[in-house]
Amino acid sequence: MTRPTALLLAALLLLAALHLLVPLGPWLELRRSDPGLASLLLTEIRLPRTLLAAGYGAVLGMTGAALQALFANPLASPDITGSSSGAALGAVLGAYWFAIVDPLALAAFGAGGAALALVALLLLAGRRSDTATLLLAGVAIALAAGAATSLLLALAPSPFAFYDSFEWLMGSFVDRSLPQAAAALVPAGLACAILVRRAHALDLMALGEDVSASLGYPPRRVAVEVVGLSAIAVGACVSVCGAIGFVGLIAPYAARRLSGGHPGRALVPAALVGAILVVLADLFVRSAPAGRIVPVGIVTTVVGTPLFIWLVVGMRRRLTS
Amino acid sequence: MTSLLSARGVAIDGRLHPTDVDVAAGSLVALIGPNGSGKTSLLRALAGVELSRGSLAIDGEDVASAPPARRPHLLTFLPASRDLAWPIRARDIIALGLAKADPGRIDRLLDLLELGSLADRPADRLSTGERARVLLARALAPSPRLLLLDEPLSNLDPYWVLKTLELLRETVRTLGCSAIVSLHDIDRVGSFDRVLLAAQGSMVADLSPESMLASTELARSFRIERGESGWRVSRA
Amino acid sequence: MPASALLIGASVASLNLCTDEYLLLLARPQEVASVSFLSQDRQESPLWRSARRFPANRGSIEDVLVRRPSVVLTMGGGGRATRLLASRLHIRPVELLSPLSLGDVAANLRTVAGVLGEPRRATPWLQELARLQRTSPTKAKDTLWLSGGGQSLTAGSIGAQWLRLAGLEQRPLPGGRASLETLLVRPPAVLVQSRYRSAQVSSGERWLDHPIVRNVRAQRMAADGRRWTCMGPLMIGEIERLRAAQR
Repeated sequence: MTRPTALLLAALLLLAALHLLVPLGPWLELRRSDPGLASLLLTEIRLPRTLLAAGYGAVLGMTGAALQALFANPLASPDITGSSSGAALGAVLGAYWFAIVDPLALAAFGAGGAALALVALLLLAGRRSDTATLLLAGVAIALAAGAATSLLLALAPSPFAFYDSFEWLMGSFVDRSLPQAAAALVPAGLACAILVRRAHALDLMALGEDVSASLGYPPRRVAVEVVGLSAIAVGACVSVCGAIGFVGLIAPYAARRLSGGHPGRALVPAALVGAILVVLADLFVRSAPAGRIVPVGIVTTVVGTPLFIWLVVGMRRRLTS
Repeated sequence: MTSLLSARGVAIDGRLHPTDVDVAAGSLVALIGPNGSGKTSLLRALAGVELSRGSLAIDGEDVASAPPARRPHLLTFLPASRDLAWPIRARDIIALGLAKADPGRIDRLLDLLELGSLADRPADRLSTGERARVLLARALAPSPRLLLLDEPLSNLDPYWVLKTLELLRETVRTLGCSAIVSLHDIDRVGSFDRVLLAAQGSMVADLSPESMLASTELARSFRIERGESGWRVSRA
Repeated sequence: MPASALLIGASVASLNLCTDEYLLLLARPQEVASVSFLSQDRQESPLWRSARRFPANRGSIEDVLVRRPSVVLTMGGGGRATRLLASRLHIRPVELLSPLSLGDVAANLRTVAGVLGEPRRATPWLQELARLQRTSPTKAKDTLWLSGGGQSLTAGSIGAQWLRLAGLEQRPLPGGRASLETLLVRPPAVLVQSRYRSAQVSSGERWLDHPIVRNVRAQRMAADGRRWTCMGPLMIGEIERLRAAQR
């Protein structure tokens, strides 16, 4: 493990521990009055929340890095390619219209939605399109999926569906259970473990699709694998926590600074950076003043948007220089 | 002598008719032809980038079934495009060509192609010619048995055109490997052992450089003819 | 949970504005462990004064855990596993119906009273509700209920059912929304306008400010929008007020 990666891991573990213990007051208070309940608080409520925050962040980072490598474009990411929105659509369809309750089945719906969105993107924009085409296609798909999700929620048999929409479209880790965490993180973890093994192929794609094919990595097969694995990982997480944006865009950017620009070697650092970002965002949400609920996706968007603009400006400058 | 490269019936639907190619070890083969004639298609078919039909073997080893770990030892493909999507350092780009890390090899290549001062510069801050040399170094890095180079001399200064040809000759001589190089400037064929002429998706001639330049096939394909002071447009 | 514990005194936490309503109306102060922060907001609930006596929660079971409730009231759930978590924490989860009919409101009243260990406490409310239904006017006037942006009630919805008890028949509208054209061309006999957050700026409020809306030729009545959010027992008072306004 390289030194930057080790440092990132240490930072993540520290933040995760903090995330488990904050707010400290209620836990200490409970420990005094009912130690059994206090430990249940940690294991049944806070642990799944921390695991999901770190895991979802890692998934966003890694799939973002993989999609950027695949599309050879630093602006690709699960949200900009419409994958997260597709996953939310799948999950909402399953939860409110098919009355799916089992978290694992719901994760499958999420994965299906994400996969369809990515396939639509590949059909619309192709694999080696310019940035403008990719962004437009991704935004179009994200808008379409988001609109469809809102419509489904508004028309759903359950009248509360519409009020739940902000959790689906902007993410939440509140009151998630251990079975839910497992339903999201086990498939996502498996998918990411397989994705990591494609890191070298993704690095070679930096030399161009043809070179990568000549070295035994046909671009179409790599694309199908990356798209499929990303869809499973993102879909499973979105089905439990809703869609969270910008982490999949920013984390790979930071990770590539550490990997010397290599898109494939950035997969693992991007996962660590993504996990750190989401845990930080959720720490902020948990510390927000009582009386206001700030969805975690709002925090990541507020922080991520200026960074995104800076990225675009940088790209434009590089193109014109 | 058994061929280094033995390709049978390689074809790309719509672009390359089934073609057989045999290349002996230690030879430099030039590939010429007008735009759209199938030069790039042949190289891509041999590299395994796109192959509708046919098979090829290098030193008797079937390429299609070679795993990714083995491929860099067998062949290398240098496409005509000099684009790099990511700002990777020159040194690291060369390293991507290697199957196993080998800093010594990278340093030797940096020397050979006079890239020493550019070693740590990211690709997006290199000029086209500098990028071309870095990518050539990447292709040479694993010392493969067969080099497939698509227009490696374009975008190069005259100094580097000559140096590259010298380098390729030296490489095939010392390592006993071979190279098939597509050229745009037909006057360069003199540096090669053999010239293939592509026209409309087929190899229509396979001659020595002198014979090729004087051939009617070349005149017909390019619609030019040799005059007293060089080439001129065909009057026929 | 042994039945005796219920008699000793349940401690109930409510995680939702609409479940808060039932709890605040039926429970004694020592039985309320926590209510959602929305109920403490004067703009959101008529019960805000009594709600402020209790600790607030943000709708998460973690917020109420430190109060050690024996029961938690929920409605809807979305992606949350609140009920599962409650069970694992040895708290009894009770889900109230999101009311689609007046019968659902009655059922919720009975459920909450039962959770508090005294089913009798629901009786006055149930009797009032039954009386309203018995004395519902036979003829009803053509009515439009309006809130920000032209939002109205869907015909046949629980809001329309409540409205009917006041002798007001909600006119069926496409998409449950009133257009300015409808108000101009076919004004209703009665216009019930919600004053929910009327002082705050919003695009919905600007719609209500439109001259056509302000000058509609109809008998105008004001509605306390807060009560219409949950369509719960607080509507009983609202309907009585709407009846009185017509006399």
